[in-house]
Amino acid sequence: MRNLLRLIKFAAILIWSAFVVAPFLWALTTSFKTANGVTSGATYIPFVDYQPSLGAWKGLFGSGGGSIDIMGPFVNSAVVTLSASLISLILGTLAAYGLSRFTYKAGPVGNADLTFFFISQRIMPPVVLAIPFFLMLGLFGLLDTIFGLVIVYIALLMPIAVWVMVDFFNQVPRELDETAMIDGCNPVETFWRVILPNSKPGLVVAGIFCVVFGWNDFFFAFTLTFTKTQLLPVAIVSLNSSVTPWWSLSASALISVAPLILVAFLVERYLDKGNIAGGGK
Amino acid sequence: MSKKHYAMRNLNVALGGEIHLQNINIDLPQSGVVTIIGRTLAGKTTLLKVMAGLQGPQSGAFTQGETDLLKIPAWKRKVGMVYQQFVNYPHLDVRQNISFPLKRAKFSEADIARKLTYVTGLLGLEDYLDRRPAELSGGQQQRVALARSLVKETDLLLLDEPLVNLDYKLREQLREEFRRIFSQSADRLVVYATTDPAEAMILHGQVIIMHEGRVVQSGDYRDVYHFPANVIAAEVYNDPPMNLLSGEIEAGQIHLADGLKLEIPAHLKKLEAGTYVFGIRAMDIEVGGKSKATLALAEVNGSSTIYHLNLTGSSLVIEREGVHPLAVGTPVAFSLDTSRLYVFHALSGDALVFPARKSVSGQGDI
Amino acid sequence: MAKIELRGLGHAYTFVGGEAQFALHPLDLTWEDGGTYALLGPSGCGKSTMLNIVSGLLEPSLGQVLINGRDVTALGPIKRNIAQVFQFPVVYPAKTVYGNLAFPLVCRQKSKGEIDRRVNEVAELLNLDKFLQKPARSLTPDLKQLISLGRGLVRDDVAVILMDEPLTVIDPQLKFSLRRKLRDISARHGHTLVYVTHDQNEAMTLAEQVVVMDSGRVVQMGTPQELFENPVHPHVGYFIGTPSMNFLPGRLHGNDVEVLGHKVGLPTTSELSGVSEILVGIRPEFISLAPRAGKKTIPGLVVDVQDMGGFAILSAKLSEDCELKVRARDHVPPVGEQCHLDLQSDRVRFYLDNRLVN
Repeated sequence: MRNLLRLIKFAAILIWSAFVVAPFLWALTTSFKTANGVTSGATYIPFVDYQPSLGAWKGLFGSGGGSIDIMGPFVNSAVVTLSASLISLILGTLAAYGLSRFTYKAGPVGNADLTFFFISQRIMPPVVLAIPFFLMLGLFGLLDTIFGLVIVYIALLMPIAVWVMVDFFNQVPRELDETAMIDGCNPVETFWRVILPNSKPGLVVAGIFCVVFGWNDFFFAFTLTFTKTQLLPVAIVSLNSSVTPWWSLSASALISVAPLILVAFLVERYLDKGNIAGGGK
Repeated sequence: MSKKHYAMRNLNVALGGEIHLQNINIDLPQSGVVTIIGRTLAGKTTLLKVMAGLQGPQSGAFTQGETDLLKIPAWKRKVGMVYQQFVNYPHLDVRQNISFPLKRAKFSEADIARKLTYVTGLLGLEDYLDRRPAELSGGQQQRVALARSLVKETDLLLLDEPLVNLDYKLREQLREEFRRIFSQSADRLVVYATTDPAEAMILHGQVIIMHEGRVVQSGDYRDVYHFPANVIAAEVYNDPPMNLLSGEIEAGQIHLADGLKLEIPAHLKKLEAGTYVFGIRAMDIEVGGKSKATLALAEVNGSSTIYHLNLTGSSLVIEREGVHPLAVGTPVAFSLDTSRLYVFHALSGDALVFPARKSVSGQGDI
Repeated sequence: MAKIELRGLGHAYTFVGGEAQFALHPLDLTWEDGGTYALLGPSGCGKSTMLNIVSGLLEPSLGQVLINGRDVTALGPIKRNIAQVFQFPVVYPAKTVYGNLAFPLVCRQKSKGEIDRRVNEVAELLNLDKFLQKPARSLTPDLKQLISLGRGLVRDDVAVILMDEPLTVIDPQLKFSLRRKLRDISARHGHTLVYVTHDQNEAMTLAEQVVVMDSGRVVQMGTPQELFENPVHPHVGYFIGTPSMNFLPGRLHGNDVEVLGHKVGLPTTSELSGVSEILVGIRPEFISLAPRAGKKTIPGLVVDVQDMGGFAILSAKLSEDCELKVRARDHVPPVGEQCHLDLQSDRVRFYLDNRLVN
């Protein structure tokens, strides 16, 4: 009876995994095909079903004929996403600690309103923000620059960091701060020496959200750049011409997903260890 | 009182419209043990936080000698605090946890090592120095928290119900250790908040009874026990709480509201006829006698059994030595030792007459 | 209504080299129909393992569980007619108290009339009748815990109610009323009740029979009074009572056991041949302070007196490595003086290899 149940569970997991992995498998095989290999029907086993070719991959790195170099946009994306995420995380964590621990009052406006103000940035549809961003970047001559994109991405990512970290800090017992102060730490030292070292799980979660949202953003990358500064999602989409180059698209999609898969693996190993147990009841 | 004693004057704390402390006026010695006793939400924790500098009062003063302590932030005061939750730094091992305050105070490595050895020996933590708090039992975690507070030679050591989250036998063991540990340093004031009168009795020292943000009574731990100032002190400082029965003195007899009639004992002869509240401790009522009531619950507490009896409109609590469970609903005969009756004012609740002070040594105070 | 029998029941979560590492050592135990029992012990003593086996959440490695003579060892929790109350009150917050109590019956598709009758019966028993139309989330924790209990009581097929640390999250002020309610229900209702707790006072207050557990074994099962007066193992003497039982080294001399050269009585067992050393146990309550030295008294030096108001706990040093505690109500000598201890001979207990031998 219990063995049967285990069998059913196992089968369900297997079927679900197949669903998840199938697109990747498809992209992987397609990226090694030529135009003929793609149009001649669904084939999966290299050398048996079709003759693999490195054409698509070569094209992406600029050595094949008639293709674009994907490395430039990849580096651009990495720089924009990582710097915007890092700055958002630092500023957002500081803001979140303040919102969680200290009381702010300006007339009727209190902590809850401030927190909501941060989050409200993400409630608006991106289109609403795109026009003011475009005009402001234009005003300062920052359109189509890495620097301009970093600023915009900070505005997009910081609410996420604040949101995650306020929630995290609210779970950390206040007695931990008080104990640190009694042990001789001023508020800055308290944050730096006691709260931050115990915030890794929260920082990891906030960091992932920032990186994933930043890396995957297409809309602002598309509206705020033209030709000089291209980010990866835009570059991939621009591969699409009158004949859809499935092989190049597949290869570039895999390149764009690869960092996120790497992050997922690292984080999974880390989250096992990270916890805040023992800091209070 | 010495020149360096602590004084609170007209201190008030209100948080979010709720009054936590109201008009507190207390004097505390420079060293020794002071126990603050009161029910949950009596204001004990807030009082400790004011002493630690973690909570500022709306008004009032808190001084040590000439020094205005309210002007000094928590991290510059010489204070230690132990919470009822076991608060330690999760990311540090036991050794780092205990030496954390010493490093902040810039002690030399040699000094830190010496103090660490002393305090871990005192608290029996030598074998756990390399463990993280999460790898320790509750009792060990609380010892680490206590070690961190003891190690830095503070003027004030504050403990907020430090035993409440521990197992029964461990509580019994630690409260005896506390007395030994607290007596180790002569020039430190230990302020210990609790709901348990037994802990206050075991720690000796001064007792402050709090209720709804006010100080109800303050004095030597034995004096407060024998001479409670009012009904609240009588309830809070006795476990089980003192029985309080309203009644009248009439025609040479005490008529309690529940139909109990008692002869007037010698120490109450002078009381005028009228309505009073009569108080008697659970241990001063014996099982067996003329009065009868049915049992609501028999609770076992350590080595004694506490019978809760139903009286019409109120209840009566009897403490009996040993473990003697009884089924709910059993009729129980009892008799009150009238020579142990306390009398309180019917309206204000203030104490009017105390029974003669009974000392366990049979020859005055121990 | 049910009698529970555990036959040769044992459980091991891990095996090292084919050897079972027992979390619960094989044991036989019978819980009578309608009785109230408490499983008492520190965390890791095996009480939760035992509870999970009885409720059907865990299949034991060894032995059988019998409910009313029927072997239920292989049955899942749903088929055992058991209700369980957990540490944290479980209520459906969106439903009224009535809705909460009715839910198990609604799930079993009982008729409206029957549901109404049962819910009202149980609500009256638990004094929840005046809250029936209130949302469950608005109640205090002790009332919520009563609702958790009530959901077990409404089912007429429930034979056993298991409660895992039911009073942990209840405020001390509310504990009394809930303890009282629980005792009342067990007296009036015929269910077999099993509490699991680490708290001595809780166990002895709530149960007629307490099962003391330690390191995966049942050390003693008995009434609270038996545990207090006749602990079969020194562990029980230590674990039950405040202060704990005193233990002294005894020597068997002819027909008497001597403690530091003073006769204290004789164990009533025949298996003493060849034994010279024996452990002597006496509770602080059963030692009195004699005004002067006598034939039966043992001299000691008062090293500590703890004035508890109405009584005192006196610590007396009998020899370099032997100290004991006495609970006394009057005539307590001050620290530094000699005292004369009179051990009530009918209260002295003897232990050989950690077993009671009288």
